[in-house]
Amino acid sequence: MATDNRIHFWRRNPKVPGSLQPVYGAQHPPLDPRRHRLLKDAPKVNSLNTKSKKPSTFHEFARSTNDAWDIDDEEDDGIFSLKQLSSSPVQSRSMPQTPCLKIIKTPEDTEALPPSLDRQEPISTNPIQDRLDMGSGPANGRVVKSSSEAQLNVNAARNTLQKQQSLPVRPVIPLVARISDQNASGAPPMMVREKTRLDKFKQLLASPNTDLEELRKHSWSGIPREVRPVTWRLLSGYLPANRERRELVLQRKREEYFGFIEQYYHSRTDENHRDTYRQIHIDIPRTNPLIPLFQQPLVQEVFERILFIWAIRHPASGYVQGINDLVTPFFVVFLSEFVEEDVENFEMASLPLDTQRNIEADSFWCMSKLLDGIQDNYTFAQPGIQNKVKALEELVSRIDEDVHLHFLKCEVEYLQFAFRWMNNLLMRELPLRCTIRLWDTYQAESEGFSHFHLYVCSAFLIKWRKEILSMVDFQSLLMLLQNLPTIHWGNEEVGLLLAEAYRLKYMFADAPSHYKR
Amino acid sequence: MQVPWNFRFGIVILGDSSVGKSSLLHRYTEGTFDESRQSPLGIDFKVSNMYFDPDVVIKLLLWDTAGQERFRSICKSYMRNSVGCILMFDVSQRQTFDRVRSWQQEVLDYVKPNPMFFVLVGHKCDLAVGRQVRKSEGDALAKKLNMLAYLEVSTKENINVKETFETLTRGIYNLFQQGKIPTRGDWQGLTVGATVQKESPVTKKSACCNCG
Repeated sequence: MATDNRIHFWRRNPKVPGSLQPVYGAQHPPLDPRRHRLLKDAPKVNSLNTKSKKPSTFHEFARSTNDAWDIDDEEDDGIFSLKQLSSSPVQSRSMPQTPCLKIIKTPEDTEALPPSLDRQEPISTNPIQDRLDMGSGPANGRVVKSSSEAQLNVNAARNTLQKQQSLPVRPVIPLVARISDQNASGAPPMMVREKTRLDKFKQLLASPNTDLEELRKHSWSGIPREVRPVTWRLLSGYLPANRERRELVLQRKREEYFGFIEQYYHSRTDENHRDTYRQIHIDIPRTNPLIPLFQQPLVQEVFERILFIWAIRHPASGYVQGINDLVTPFFVVFLSEFVEEDVENFEMASLPLDTQRNIEADSFWCMSKLLDGIQDNYTFAQPGIQNKVKALEELVSRIDEDVHLHFLKCEVEYLQFAFRWMNNLLMRELPLRCTIRLWDTYQAESEGFSHFHLYVCSAFLIKWRKEILSMVDFQSLLMLLQNLPTIHWGNEEVGLLLAEAYRLKYMFADAPSHYKR
Repeated sequence: MQVPWNFRFGIVILGDSSVGKSSLLHRYTEGTFDESRQSPLGIDFKVSNMYFDPDVVIKLLLWDTAGQERFRSICKSYMRNSVGCILMFDVSQRQTFDRVRSWQQEVLDYVKPNPMFFVLVGHKCDLAVGRQVRKSEGDALAKKLNMLAYLEVSTKENINVKETFETLTRGIYNLFQQGKIPTRGDWQGLTVGATVQKESPVTKKSACCNCG
């Protein structure tokens, strides 16, 4: 059983590679210029490509799974190759044939990873971290915080720091506010790097045909707040890459969604849909109960409609508790387009009706795209989750035997804590602002939600190895795992987590026996 | 093991969605009522020690489950390692009462050949209006289904919360003393720990006691 499972997860059925693509999702291993050019120059010719015939295992893996992202834009490949070549500084350097292998050699070698962290530094969203940084002064070698919040927080920070010393409990941090924490548009001094990054996004987005591969590449390490809504729409496959078509598509999809509402929403009281609606209706007030925004009847109605329509259009799974949470990041991100600062307390009713409707429809479609990839998490007996939890166990047993044996010793089963991690994509384990950052990467990574998530969970678990090993029995261990202290987490922690997950994926994705004892 | 225990019982809390399973457990272990809680996904876990007959410490492993049908397969593995079940319905939602029988049958089928002992809880009994199930109906059903007891509970008003857990634990303990619950090596529902002594070796009692 375990073997079947492993094979299922680590060794993908090799598809016939219909389109060779460079590896994205990871800036860390710089692309091999020769390989990259080759791919770009001859995107459709694969039979003669000798280099790609013996790719590294990672490339093989990436290629066999990247197809999920091919959103009818393959014809653009040729056009963008030039741009990509000229814009990437890596291109001019001579690189080894299989750079990934050289760069990430051992588990200890994390040097290959920091670039992405570095890049996301200026968009830190971690108020606590910002506060702590204030205390330690600007001379810590980092990019100076440019966020205006950071300045506003100075006083608060001092107070908080003082309080922290006496209070055992961490201060409550807004769960949504500063979700992204990059500068809102127009905010004062934007650091050069941050601006360059934002400009790059803007340039990509403004081009007549957005290069989705480039966009993913840049999105992997975090999307600037002000371009996040449109970038998410593009990455999820909801918006077309062709700029001229976007408005039309949006209009059509939004109309389509409200057509569903008109056609089906009244059926929520029908015999066969009554239970579904009842469950949704029960769960909505319990969604993000601590955030005032989600207590507004108007917002709750939006969620009910989205979930009900999705559920009856997907009878194989229907509505399952946990799916309600998955609407939240989309809703918040699309709403944030119209909110200057405090999303948490924003009054939805103050928006024009059209805007409200657009946010609702866009949330519905993007959530649908996400769920398309993970529907087996929610079908009968939840096979997707069961398999992923087993795969997690398998992976952890290989990457950290101490932790794995400690679980065995304490008789803790992975399902007992990791079920929720899978059912809810870690949303219950992380503050919402972190989930949003995490989803930047999940949408940039091929099979991010369905596959890469597994590596993120592994990295997340190992992150707590010290705490885990210090727990002496079943109860304390399980209590720890159900309440991991992430409340203060922000971009930096998520960035580290993702880098580690990337490393694990690279090392283990296509190597079932790797490190096997 | 931090606190030596003489017995360890696995207890699972079951019932339809939103009958108040999590809030009952939360009230019992944390002592507070919190209306604004997220629905649990899959399983939540708490631990509590109960002190009996001066020198008996019973450790309770408490499993809070999600009531939605889809989670049933996940929850089953917890039923298997439990000896007691708090089966709940909402007195203001008739259909949650109507499903008690099938809940019990499903559990018993699943844990076979191991035993499972039930208390039936009619929850939200503080509701003055909107009650759809009478107390006598709850009593009758509990008797008919051979349960240890029926209790009307309000987590909000803190009525019969402690009593629910005590009744179940006491009932199981007594049955065990009468030799009516066999223990098996591979069954975690009821585990015997340290031998009960007249001179109590337990010194840290008060720290974790929920019923003292």
